[in-house]
Amino acid sequence: MSSNESNSNSKELLRMAGINKYFGKVHALEDIDFKINETENVGLVGDNGAGKSTLIKIISGYHRAERGQIYFEGKKVRISSPKDSRALGIETVYQEQALAPDLSISRNVFMGREPATALGFLRKRVMDEESMDALKSIGLQLRSPNINISTLSGGEKQGVAIARAFHFEAKLVILDEPTMALSVKEVREVFNFVNQLKRKGIAVIFITHNLHHVFTISDRIVVLSHGKKLVDIKKKDTNVDELSEIIVRGTIG
Amino acid sequence: MKKSGLSPILNYNINTPIVFVAIVLFFIIFTPNHLFIDLRNLASMGKLIPDLGIVALGVGMLMICGEFDLSIASLIPLCSYVFATFLMKGINPALALIILLPVGAALGFINGTIVVKTGLPSFIITLSTMMFWRGVVFILSRMAPISITKYIKPYPYFEKMLTGTIGRFPLQVIWFVGIAIILGILLHFTKFGNWIFATGSSKGAARAMGINTNMVKTTCYIIIGVLCAVVGTLQSVRLGSFFATQGVGFELKTIAAAVVGGTSLRGGVGSMLNIFLGILIIKIIENGLILMKVPVFGVEAFIGLAIILFVIINNFTQRQMT
Repeated sequence: MSSNESNSNSKELLRMAGINKYFGKVHALEDIDFKINETENVGLVGDNGAGKSTLIKIISGYHRAERGQIYFEGKKVRISSPKDSRALGIETVYQEQALAPDLSISRNVFMGREPATALGFLRKRVMDEESMDALKSIGLQLRSPNINISTLSGGEKQGVAIARAFHFEAKLVILDEPTMALSVKEVREVFNFVNQLKRKGIAVIFITHNLHHVFTISDRIVVLSHGKKLVDIKKKDTNVDELSEIIVRGTIG
Repeated sequence: MKKSGLSPILNYNINTPIVFVAIVLFFIIFTPNHLFIDLRNLASMGKLIPDLGIVALGVGMLMICGEFDLSIASLIPLCSYVFATFLMKGINPALALIILLPVGAALGFINGTIVVKTGLPSFIITLSTMMFWRGVVFILSRMAPISITKYIKPYPYFEKMLTGTIGRFPLQVIWFVGIAIILGILLHFTKFGNWIFATGSSKGAARAMGINTNMVKTTCYIIIGVLCAVVGTLQSVRLGSFFATQGVGFELKTIAAAVVGGTSLRGGVGSMLNIFLGILIIKIIENGLILMKVPVFGVEAFIGLAIILFVIINNFTQRQMT
């Protein structure tokens, strides 16, 4: 089952063709074609070991595919490192991994990309102001840029990570299990942030195990299993039960 | 939401300065004849504290980025030995010190590279390098001290710059405070400093955001190496001689000073000002107890107790905050 018709409203942003990835003898990804258009929200689902992590690590530059091509905004690209990926405008928000708990919001938002003078001195005022602006842009209200990340709730932490991606003018934001271990209220907060991204014209890949979440937030759903793409279908053309059945069976039914 | 000790807004642990002031007041009041505040005593402390203090600043900074360095206890006598050797070969002391700095840097680089490439716990690795280098120093020097006074005498300015006094005020203090300020600015106000905190707080997050954590750690080790060269020289000029036993005990005292200064053993938390005060607190307790005629063994016990107390208090206030 596959629906390759492009969304007539928006241009193609990222296209991966014939991606193959091996870890030693393990064929982690087999002939994967994956596409996402501007402002589209694609949910990437599949059980553990399906290859979701591997696929996005290729997009974010941590791994390189052994075979296949990547096109970004229509042009063929090589993504050899996280820097390349970020330079294209791809930001990845990792579950638990993206924020340093002992640092402030401001220092976290700009981690690795600190605005500084020629001598390396931090432009603290710029960092503080812009991090607060970024939070506001996605609808997150926090007291001060200097509070520790560790004092924030799970939903707020995701908000900071998403605001960071937003600030660096991402064209594509990849969210890796953003709602894992969050309360119902926090999940709703995260959905609000993600919708703000869409409103600002940013494409989103949303990775999750939770089919209900994916149906709430995504336009299109891609299912991976054992390294192969099983399903690539618009949300409106299917439902939770059907998809759940497919995943469990691991095969097209 | 604010608890005592840690201000969530400023991220600064005020336990340390509070204790510092308390300890100073205590010893001013309770030492016989208030000897603690006597200028001669202060001058004496001013000469001795920088030996431990200068290198402890670097050790504290390394702990913030998540690693340990025990080898300083052996790098100090090693650098001192190299310095003495240069002097014996007729090299001008100032030049000898300048050449010694990259030697110290190279020793630090070796530590850093082993830690980073093997990924093994730095506590064990630097424990091993500490033992290795001490063995090297023992063999090279055959345990014999090397008197360097006669090599320093022709260069009075050199000796004055390093260990001289302005009135009673020892210049070592200026070196100590100057290095503390430089490292403090580096740690708290620069990009690189943010990388140090990030690497210590979450190496995974730092790497995900493109920070070269290996480079950050190795650089901290290199800085410590340079500081060991400085201390090795300062100490031997002050003592007039190289001793193979220089630096013994520093490996744990520097960590203790950092911990008393609120540095977390897990990394990611610490402040250069507090590390500076932590060094002072430990040395002041030592000095004050001796003035109060507490027997030497008792001093060690007290310091041990003080450190345990500190770890508990700092841990408690940190937990209150989160």
